[in-house]
Amino acid sequence: MAPKGEQRYTILVADDSEMNRSILRSMLEESYDIIEAEDGLQAVAILQQREQEISLVLLDIVMPNMDGFGVLSAMNKYNWIDSVPVIMISAESTHTFIERAYDMGVTDYISRPFDMMVVRRRVINTIMLYAKQRRLTAMVNEQIYQKERVNNLMISILSHIVEFRNEESGLHVLHIQTMTEILLKSLMRKTDKYKLDRETINLISNASTLHDAGKICIPSEILNKPGKFTKEEFEIMKGHSQMGADMMKGVPFQDEPLVKYAYEICRWHHERYDGRGYPDGLVGEEIPISAQVVSLADVYDALTSERVYKPAHPHEKALAMILNGECGTFQPLLLECLVESSDIIQREMAVDTVVRVDQRAMENTAAEAAEMMQYEELSAPDRTLRILEQERAIHHFFNSLSEHVLFEYTQTPPMLTLSPVGARLLGLEEATVDPYHNEKVKQIVSPDQLAGLAQLLQDSTPEQPVVEYDCDICLNGRTRPVHIISRAMWSADEKPQYTGAIGKVVEYQEEEEKH
Amino acid sequence: MTIQECYATLGGDYEEVLNRLYSEALVRKFVGKFLTDPSFQLLEDSMHAGNYEEAFRAAHTLKGVSQNLSFTRLYQSSHEITEALRTKNYDLAAQLLPTVETDYALTRAAIETFQHM
Repeated sequence: MAPKGEQRYTILVADDSEMNRSILRSMLEESYDIIEAEDGLQAVAILQQREQEISLVLLDIVMPNMDGFGVLSAMNKYNWIDSVPVIMISAESTHTFIERAYDMGVTDYISRPFDMMVVRRRVINTIMLYAKQRRLTAMVNEQIYQKERVNNLMISILSHIVEFRNEESGLHVLHIQTMTEILLKSLMRKTDKYKLDRETINLISNASTLHDAGKICIPSEILNKPGKFTKEEFEIMKGHSQMGADMMKGVPFQDEPLVKYAYEICRWHHERYDGRGYPDGLVGEEIPISAQVVSLADVYDALTSERVYKPAHPHEKALAMILNGECGTFQPLLLECLVESSDIIQREMAVDTVVRVDQRAMENTAAEAAEMMQYEELSAPDRTLRILEQERAIHHFFNSLSEHVLFEYTQTPPMLTLSPVGARLLGLEEATVDPYHNEKVKQIVSPDQLAGLAQLLQDSTPEQPVVEYDCDICLNGRTRPVHIISRAMWSADEKPQYTGAIGKVVEYQEEEEKH
Repeated sequence: MTIQECYATLGGDYEEVLNRLYSEALVRKFVGKFLTDPSFQLLEDSMHAGNYEEAFRAAHTLKGVSQNLSFTRLYQSSHEITEALRTKNYDLAAQLLPTVETDYALTRAAIETFQHM
């Protein structure tokens, strides 16, 4: 999530002229750590070693050995450009030059001669934008992950309820789910007949956990009868497929693919490929692939698990029995999948199943996030960023109209932003990085009083974030008593974090006049 | 000689550079540093050696540096020779070189006088 604490960002300055590097260094070294490169080759070498710690590259274009475009090519080749923003610094004002640089992924452009204010602003904007984007990407990933996790957990709880009445361990459903997933993945590699993809496989294996849902309608003396069923009892037992199907028809989400697959699986997971199964006696491909796969998984798990009437068979024995047709008939292609996935099945069935629930959620998160990256234009982080930028523009506009000292403080990075009027009255710049250690700030307000305000804000709560504070501040060169109204900003985390504050400084006289 | 007079002598714009760098101390520091910048020497040597690619880069750097310091006069002449070299118009570049040399000498002399005050 967001970087915590006081972080100093590192900037790589790549320019062949020592003078230019030195000018940029003196503009930025107060707030950033600077690394210098004398040409493109050095820049690439530094990036190779320290890409992780570099937050921004200031890149000259015309350089010996390797020019700026060469550096950009390398940054694209190694995907550094995705995480390290580049600002081009050049005396080149040729249109095609600049356009080519933008095409190669530079974020911004600073032309010579360098203006300290412009350089500082563009640098901080770019770094903040990327930091924000990284934060948002992490947030979105976290949300997808949580969503997946809760989904899987709910399904798993539901299936355990079924199993609980069945007096089984609950491992059975998880085994079916794992087996179904393995078999479907193998099938997807073999044929495109069933239009399987990651999403579909995920849905079918989730739905597979509901295959015996109908058993909750079976009287428990039959369900848990230790001995052999009578013919009548067996008929009642067989009713569980139809009853499960009826339940799935009864849920209100009929358009949901998950419900559709659950219906197929409940109803037809005891059909046989040769048509001798129940309840409908479907033959061959009349049986939906979801039910075919779950049927095979069900048989395998029954064979390899211990039951009242039989011991657990080892994997090899179970496999042999299935292939011999001792436990029903299956589609030959599916049997091929079973044989080929033999190793994975044995390995996966041994994995702690709780771990698997989490693992599955994680895999799906990664896949979903990757898919989202491909539609970058439409992705949520991108939209969110645009909304944020708009908010920022609105905020800036109102700020510029205000005649008061308005301020905004962020913890990470520690930065104080002032309204234009505020900056003028206080004699500060509109943005001050690390204000607590800034000499000018210390002259405007005593560190003790500043700490007092900070303490008050940090002691506030997300429910009551607004605090009021009296102190002395140097306005327009004169020290005056002021009244500060400030609102602490708390993060929306489960455990809210203090992220900074916004507020207004009012001169005492002025307030009295108004009242 | 003040820094303002130094700028006036070398044909630069002191107001402009001060507006960008915000502090006289910084301007002084970089003006002093200009004497150690090797790009002019590299330009001259490369021109004489006929190494025009190197000459282009050197001219380009000299132009960038003088632009950053608001040495308007030197910026103009180094800009012109940069463009001549970029478009591979080497005859023109050779014709422009003496102007660059004159401007550089003027700039250098002004800074040295300023520093020895």
